[in-house]
Amino acid sequence: MKKHSIASALVATAALCGAGAAQAQVAGQFMVKLGWNKIMPKVQSDDLSAPSLPGSKIDIHSASALFFTASYMITDAISVEALGGLPYKHSVYGEGAVAGVGRISTIHQISPTLLLEYRFLAADAPFRPYVGVGPTFAKFYGTKGSASLTAVTNPGGPATTVGGDTEWGSTIAAGGAYKIDRHWFLDAAILKTFIKTRAPLSTGQEIHAKLNPVSINASIGYAF
Amino acid sequence: MKKLHVLSTALAAAAFLAGCGGSDPGDQSPRVAFKQMVNFGDSLSDVGSYDVGVVKVQGGGHFSINGQGATGLLYTNWTEFLAATLKLPQPCAAQTGLTPVAPFVPTVGDETPAFHDASTGGTCTSYAQGGSRVTNPIGPGNKALLNPADSSTYSNALGALTIPVTTQIDNYLAHNGQTFNADQLVTVFAGGNDVFINLALVSAGQLSPTAAVTAMGTAGAELAAYVNQKILAKGATHVVVVNLPDVSITPLALGQSAQVQGLIKTMTTTFNSQLQAGLTASPTLVVVDAFAASEDQAANKAQYGLADVSTPACDLTKVNSSLLCTKATLIAAAAPAASGAIASNANTYEYADTVHPTPYGYRLLAELVGEKLAVKGWL
Repeated sequence: MKKHSIASALVATAALCGAGAAQAQVAGQFMVKLGWNKIMPKVQSDDLSAPSLPGSKIDIHSASALFFTASYMITDAISVEALGGLPYKHSVYGEGAVAGVGRISTIHQISPTLLLEYRFLAADAPFRPYVGVGPTFAKFYGTKGSASLTAVTNPGGPATTVGGDTEWGSTIAAGGAYKIDRHWFLDAAILKTFIKTRAPLSTGQEIHAKLNPVSINASIGYAF
Repeated sequence: MKKLHVLSTALAAAAFLAGCGGSDPGDQSPRVAFKQMVNFGDSLSDVGSYDVGVVKVQGGGHFSINGQGATGLLYTNWTEFLAATLKLPQPCAAQTGLTPVAPFVPTVGDETPAFHDASTGGTCTSYAQGGSRVTNPIGPGNKALLNPADSSTYSNALGALTIPVTTQIDNYLAHNGQTFNADQLVTVFAGGNDVFINLALVSAGQLSPTAAVTAMGTAGAELAAYVNQKILAKGATHVVVVNLPDVSITPLALGQSAQVQGLIKTMTTTFNSQLQAGLTASPTLVVVDAFAASEDQAANKAQYGLADVSTPACDLTKVNSSLLCTKATLIAAAAPAASGAIASNANTYEYADTVHPTPYGYRLLAELVGEKLAVKGWL
């Protein structure tokens, strides 16, 4: 509650002195952001490799986490931004031939991303939309299996575990920064990442899936 | 400014630390904490009803490739795989015994039929027996089918008990206070022996094909009625009914004419449709479509890890049934590389004999049942 009122106070302040301070996103400036990011995978799953029920697929549910970025203005319009954050924990559900078996696994991932951005409008404009593009590195780890995963892959045998994976992908982004004062700003962005993953099972099968998540985030930033 | 710097350093450290997680099996306990499994049916669920007498002497007892771990898998019958999945003790035969007929089959001395369930202070609750039919007490292997003048009937001299499913359930009820309970998983899987006996009557000219199909429909309806009246109505809340796999694609049927195969298929589908028609969808009942699964396994064998879905892995010139089959009596292609080695090649075969699965074939059924139980929210 308190946090919320601080946030709305900040927004109110921003509205009051929108075109206030002169300094903004200018060449040579460093900025950091801290916020909340939600990753929504748009899964296109291949089939689990043999031996398996034909058409065994997975779905991966959304996850949210605290995220932070650091960026540097190369010119008044071009910036680079590094995105990192706390790990995301996704639930993996059975789909296709194994639809309805429920949550078969959980998996953690971190996906640091580097964006080259172009910021529109004048350097001191109160609101500057931007677009970006860049590489994403994803590390999938910290998996947990389940009784149902073992039941459909190795009934009665040792519990099936899911291996990790590292992948490179690419991200495009669009967002906007709203200046509050000479240091503080609010930022929101939507990102689309093109990435796939491969989950090997301890029983020898593996499944490939395109994740291609859409991410949305909101953050508060500070310009030095 | 400084504070922010400290914060991001801390976050980066947290992210790094969180990266240390590995692969965890997670919670392996089923969603329903079953305490007991009760099995009714025939050889496809039999875990040792005839593991006495000459069968025991020869290392048999399961209708598959005998000897736990013979093919490298931990279990042999699908009910054993399922019990392990559900964290239950391994099933054991509620009744054992044979009635061997001299001079065809020698008597060892331990064949006298005996119960090992609650009626004798035992804990065995697998009532399924090889040769059992749905209602008729005389199934394949029963000594009543032995004709000393006809050598083709000599396999019945083994004297299988073939207690029909209806009596199996009655025995359970009589020995367990006439009730099932919510902590039990009850499985019912029968009908194959009704196919074989009716088919034999057709080939002997004692039954018309139409009458054989009608008899199968009757058996299917009867099995459904037993599930409803003697299991669900007696307090069982977790019941699994497995329908009849496609008998027309077993090695037994593949050796027959297309016409006979067609008859077998019609008999099977008629049984299944009457079974299905007699069952009512309910939160307490799971019906597993083994018929569709068996056809899918034959059509997409590689996807299931199978290479051969038509050749028995057991050498049937050495043993006449998988009941006596061990890794020492497999065909060359399925045999272990050296004596004492695991017969892992047998895991690419669906069938152990002309109708019974290999341990791997049973494992595929256990996977299918496990998937249905997970969908139901029981696993």
